[in-house]
Amino acid sequence: METSRTTRIVLMIYGIGIIAFLYLPLVSVAFASVSKARYLTFPIRRYTTGWFADALASKEVHMLAMTSLKIAMIVTILSMIIGFFGALAFARYQWRYRSLFQKLVLLPIFFPQTVLGLALLMWFNSIGIIPSWKTAIVAHLVWIAPIATLIVAIRAYSFDPALEEAARDMGASTPVILREITLPLLMPGIVAAGLFSFLLSWGNFPLSLFTTGADSTLPEWLYAKMVSGYSPLVPTLGILSVIGSFLLIIVAFAGLAIYRALRPQK
Amino acid sequence: MPAKPILRLRGVRKIFGRFTALHGIDLDIEEGEFFTIVGPSGSGKSTIIRLLVGMDEVTSGEIWLRDKRIDQTPANLRPTCMVFQSLALFPHMSVGQNIEFPLKLRKIEPAKRKARALELLKLLHLPEHYYDKRVTECSGGERQRIALARALAFDPEILFFDEPLSALDYRLRKSLEKELKSLHARTGKTFVYITHSLEEAMVMSDRIAIMKTGRFEQISDADEIYSKPVSRFVAEFMGEVNLFDVTATAGRIEGAGLSAAQGAATRPMADKIAATRGATLMIRPEYVQFLQDGENADFEVTGTLQGIYALGSRIHYEIRTESGQILTVEKLREDRHDGREGDTVRLGWNADSAHVIEEPAFEEQMA
Repeated sequence: METSRTTRIVLMIYGIGIIAFLYLPLVSVAFASVSKARYLTFPIRRYTTGWFADALASKEVHMLAMTSLKIAMIVTILSMIIGFFGALAFARYQWRYRSLFQKLVLLPIFFPQTVLGLALLMWFNSIGIIPSWKTAIVAHLVWIAPIATLIVAIRAYSFDPALEEAARDMGASTPVILREITLPLLMPGIVAAGLFSFLLSWGNFPLSLFTTGADSTLPEWLYAKMVSGYSPLVPTLGILSVIGSFLLIIVAFAGLAIYRALRPQK
Repeated sequence: MPAKPILRLRGVRKIFGRFTALHGIDLDIEEGEFFTIVGPSGSGKSTIIRLLVGMDEVTSGEIWLRDKRIDQTPANLRPTCMVFQSLALFPHMSVGQNIEFPLKLRKIEPAKRKARALELLKLLHLPEHYYDKRVTECSGGERQRIALARALAFDPEILFFDEPLSALDYRLRKSLEKELKSLHARTGKTFVYITHSLEEAMVMSDRIAIMKTGRFEQISDADEIYSKPVSRFVAEFMGEVNLFDVTATAGRIEGAGLSAAQGAATRPMADKIAATRGATLMIRPEYVQFLQDGENADFEVTGTLQGIYALGSRIHYEIRTESGQILTVEKLREDRHDGREGDTVRLGWNADSAHVIEEPAFEEQMA
């Protein structure tokens, strides 16, 4: 179908509008992080990279990043494991309460995170656990593991069960089938689930706010600084956090490309 | 004295919940045989094959492979292999890795594995460089051959096939049918094949079993099943057929619209019909002749030509008899009948090309 000139112009404006809506806030934060002035005003009079140097040198920032990283890494690993086995139960095996399981597993995604955070905090208190970055891991998992499960399950649904049967028929035992057939075939889904888990945990604020106790993650610190004691370190750290996420995605894609390129040989 | 059967089923039953899929099946399959189980969907043929390879458990009964009872042996410990309907090639492995997979499981060293894989590629007429190709890049026919190579890799005692050709287009299917038959001859292995396509079964098999609702209706070679079916179900399953409800008294065969000669030719048939509670006279469309004036046959029918259909090398004629029954006649193009729709025609055939099915007509069975 031929696209008319008007349609093309409208599509173009629409596309630019969407991109602007999505990225303008990020761009203004980026500007704020390189502005010499304490508060962001346009036009920017003098640029500086000083805030970045400060951020990278700061002990506090290191601590925050480490806490966020620790939580995100552990959540990622656990989500991948839970997601893998959960997806098998979700999509690959027929059992009596499967349909109920499918619904219950996805339910936490729909809870407002603040409510979920509060509920978890109350629960930790009532069983006498003092909140710290470790409890935040549990809180993140309640929300993120279902998402990871869903992502792996989508992959598992497109999986021909005859592949496992064929492997068994040719002499493979259950652990061998898992290692040689199921795991490699679900791997793209597992990696995607891991990526999502990391990013969702890294950027999570509402759950962390309630459940980290005395520890603090990057988003929490950003919020606290916004409320009291703003400095250009806030947008700087925000931008650094975004850059970190982007780097992770790039590394993941590069990894996937290398994996694909190497796959036919062994 | 035939050799001892390689596979024996004794009273094999399979029940799913309240549904009985197999009602106590007995079956012997000979060593080196190409045995095909044919039936419509839901007849139980897939259930049988799943029991035979060990993907489902029998409810009762025994399965013997030579002198070993195998019905309780898990699938991965049975020395048999199956080619799946979906082929089940592993998409994350190369062609070579797929073929070597069963060998790798048996801890055969890489050099030997590769040699065997290349040998199998050759056996199945695939080029050697396919060894490193991704299976996802192969065509339908090539994938079929790869699946066969993989199934043959560990030299299984029996090769099972679960409708592996059903997803292919007609021409490819035809050529692979012949290739499978020749592969069977070259390997000398026992092939057990299931399909819903009778044509496929007829082309390839030594013996065919026709299944209906969890039981075998008839087990025989293609010729016998085609020309001497034991039931209307088998007769109709085996392609186009004309069936008449008939009775006989004192050597005289009677059926609606049918006139039968009395004499030595039809006498044995009449006696057979008279001895049963109900019988059906069967005649295949290619045995029915258009009779010229003055020409006679053992059985004759008069009717109106109401349809002519060209099917390439053959032509089908549809004739409505005086009693309202539709008959099909098939002629080769070179023997075509020069007639027009609406013509009144006389059809006839001789007793030796007809067959009596000793089974009451459908209406009587229901009553």
